Amino acid sequence: MSLSGLSGASLSAVKAGRFVSILKSLIWIAAFLLVVELIVVALGIRPYYLPRPSAIAAAFLATPQAYLLSMWRTLLETIIGFVAGSLFGVAMGVLFHRWTILRELFFPLFVVSQTIPVIAFGAVVVLWFGNTLFAKAVIAFYISFLPVTVNALLGFATVDPRQVALMRSFGAKEGQILRRLYLPAALPQIFVALKLASSLSLIGAIVGEWFGDTTGLGVLLLQAMYNENVVGIWVTIVASACLGIGLYGAVSEAERRIVFWGAEQ
Amino acid sequence: MSTVAASSNARRIGRGFAGAFLLAAIWELSVRGFNLPTYVLPSVSSILAGMVADAGKLAAAARFTAAEALTGYLLGCVIGIAAAVGVSMVPRTRSAVMSVATAINSVPVVAYSPLVLLWLGIGMTSKIVMVAVAVSFTVFLSTVAGLDRVDRKSIDLVRSFGAGRMAVLWRLRLPTALPLIIAGMRVSTVRSVIVAIVTEMLGAYGGLGWVIYQAVLQIDFVQVWAAIIVASAISLCFFGVISFIEQRYIFWR
Amino acid sequence: MLKKRHLLAALAATFVGIQGLGYSATPVAAQQTVNASLRLKWLTQAQFAGFYVALEKGYYKDEGINLTINPGGPNLLTENLVATGADTFGLSGGTDSVFSARDKGLPIVCIGVAHQVTPFVFVTYKDGPVKTVQDFKGKKVTAWFTGANHVLSAMLAKAGIKAGEVDVQPQQVSMTPFIDKQVDVATATRYNELQIVAQRVGMDNLRIFVPEDSGVSFPRDTLIVSEQTAKEKPELVEKFLRASIKGWKYALTNEKEAIDIVMKVAPTLDRAQQAVMLSEIKKLMVAGKGGTDGLFAIDKAAVGSANSLLAEYKVISKPVDLDAAFNDSFLSKIAVAEKRL
Repeated sequence: MSLSGLSGASLSAVKAGRFVSILKSLIWIAAFLLVVELIVVALGIRPYYLPRPSAIAAAFLATPQAYLLSMWRTLLETIIGFVAGSLFGVAMGVLFHRWTILRELFFPLFVVSQTIPVIAFGAVVVLWFGNTLFAKAVIAFYISFLPVTVNALLGFATVDPRQVALMRSFGAKEGQILRRLYLPAALPQIFVALKLASSLSLIGAIVGEWFGDTTGLGVLLLQAMYNENVVGIWVTIVASACLGIGLYGAVSEAERRIVFWGAEQ
Repeated sequence: MSTVAASSNARRIGRGFAGAFLLAAIWELSVRGFNLPTYVLPSVSSILAGMVADAGKLAAAARFTAAEALTGYLLGCVIGIAAAVGVSMVPRTRSAVMSVATAINSVPVVAYSPLVLLWLGIGMTSKIVMVAVAVSFTVFLSTVAGLDRVDRKSIDLVRSFGAGRMAVLWRLRLPTALPLIIAGMRVSTVRSVIVAIVTEMLGAYGGLGWVIYQAVLQIDFVQVWAAIIVASAISLCFFGVISFIEQRYIFWR
Repeated sequence: MLKKRHLLAALAATFVGIQGLGYSATPVAAQQTVNASLRLKWLTQAQFAGFYVALEKGYYKDEGINLTINPGGPNLLTENLVATGADTFGLSGGTDSVFSARDKGLPIVCIGVAHQVTPFVFVTYKDGPVKTVQDFKGKKVTAWFTGANHVLSAMLAKAGIKAGEVDVQPQQVSMTPFIDKQVDVATATRYNELQIVAQRVGMDNLRIFVPEDSGVSFPRDTLIVSEQTAKEKPELVEKFLRASIKGWKYALTNEKEAIDIVMKVAPTLDRAQQAVMLSEIKKLMVAGKGGTDGLFAIDKAAVGSANSLLAEYKVISKPVDLDAAFNDSFLSKIAVAEKRL
């Protein structure tokens, strides 16, 4: 009883602490924006170099629905691509770790696949996957899985072979060794890659939207860029930053909960 | 010992080529077998022929892009590592720096490109800056993770021998972090070339991205693929060099 | 609360939008309706207003076409998508891209030309040193290396200036280098860049060089189909053209409503900018044969001049067979009164 009460109290204390820290960062952001606003006004910086933050906010508020719709669309594509890319990345890491021959045959090709700028292949993407949300998610997937594979392999390599031998001698199956030994050992490394992959898949989704679409941050970005609407570019930059921070935060939170043994040493 | 390592290296390189050859063979056969027109997928042989025909142009473009990517890459690595070390030396700045870095990195580099092109023009500087931004975050993140790997007990132990902050950093933290730092550097090699190419596509005086852009407009798909293969080759060499350094380091350790 | 409702509405709309994407899978009520798609050369904007108007007003439906409009993007080549059958129709770059595609063996045919005259011009400052095309000599000129550079070369050649006597640089996305006077002459489309520049420095301060004044013409924004569609479904092509022209006639006579329709698809656009764009597009579409023979007329003389220009500058290996590349048989089935504004 008393124990649970104690942990509840400390939990709410933690919550209050986090609330304060969030509030603090909000105040910092507001102060920063105010300073930028003042600098831009005071130095008379031309809007097509750096528009005032208030102008950016006004542009967002002029058509909030359009921006929210685009953010939502881009977020969906990103999440599908990210989840698929992470799972595939870890799976490939396991395969490549288990079978050296596969790794030596195909890992270089994986690297090669990442050296191809997708933007050069708009037509191929449309041909293969059409004009669907799925096509954008595929691109997000495509550019996000390699870091996960690389780091998973790196993490697996840190496992002491003597421990593996020990588990085997107790009759542990391959699956158990993977779950109990390899994955826990590699998770801290994998999470480093997942944080990278979250922003890479966002890039993939946005670039994917350049292949002919009507909604999405990528569309808004292109439109603003070619109409020389610098304020519009900034609204889109801020919108993608919000998505990116959200995703990064979500992955970090997951890391904090799952990899309690690896972090905060 | 070293001969064993050398022979296993030779085997790996051999298998890498075998994998590439397998892919090329499947590609060539499916293009011929399904009789695909060039505008869907050109055959490997026609791309290779195109590369030979345009060798001079491609080599010049490759030098241009490689110079941008390499300069930006080095700059990005220095910035990334320095920032990570700074953050770990002054823990109070950590959350602020991390959130700013995340915010900047969350925006796809392509979103900055119009601004960077606007500010710095379409010369090499804009590409170098873009590559540096893209690389520095990846390296920063891996370095921070690497520096965090040192466990408290080792630090306390070294401290108890009277080591200062710098000594702890130099003797303990950086060596422990090195594998992760290099892993981050390895992943960013590829990204640096792509970012240079994508930025070139939006405005440049030369480079592989510029060649690709022109070739798409002139509907010359063989040249598009030829430029892409050259780009891949550059990234792969780059990746290979960093992997080699990484291996040497691990061997030495 | 209100905000929340907005967000919910936005979310709901997104879901509907996603489902709408599976257009080919949804069964169509009317039996005679055919699914088809139109790939634009760029993102939704007033430049394509007529097609959106025709879609909104149901003109395509009336002709039995269930049309999807797919926007374009950078490095997305309309000719390629139409040739491979990914899209049925395309509004592609222009005569230049049609010729390049034919030269490279892509089986596409042009069935109509939107902009009857060169849509871009070369601009300089009135108080600057450049007064005539002859004055380009020794100056820094930027041009898009997508065809505009060849138009420039031809203009310079006609003025007796040799290649190499002018510093021609590739033009970037932004007009800022010109506005900051880092270059002497820049290229600008009448409907976009010229308006952007005018907005910042004032139209009165600009001197404009029109390619047609030098005897060079480069009609752009071409409607294309694959050879297969042209041969196997001529009635579909004709119906599509009829509905599109009807949409464009409506758009060009009811500009405000047309802009409303475009803005509904792309709400973040600048309304004033789009309105100017449409009025400039109108001028380009009704110029020359567009005024006499009707919208989308194929002016063989102008198209032929672009053909020989591109062959001369080795962009295409040899002049393309004009009659095979430009097929006006579909247009000619539509009465002139229906096509003329």
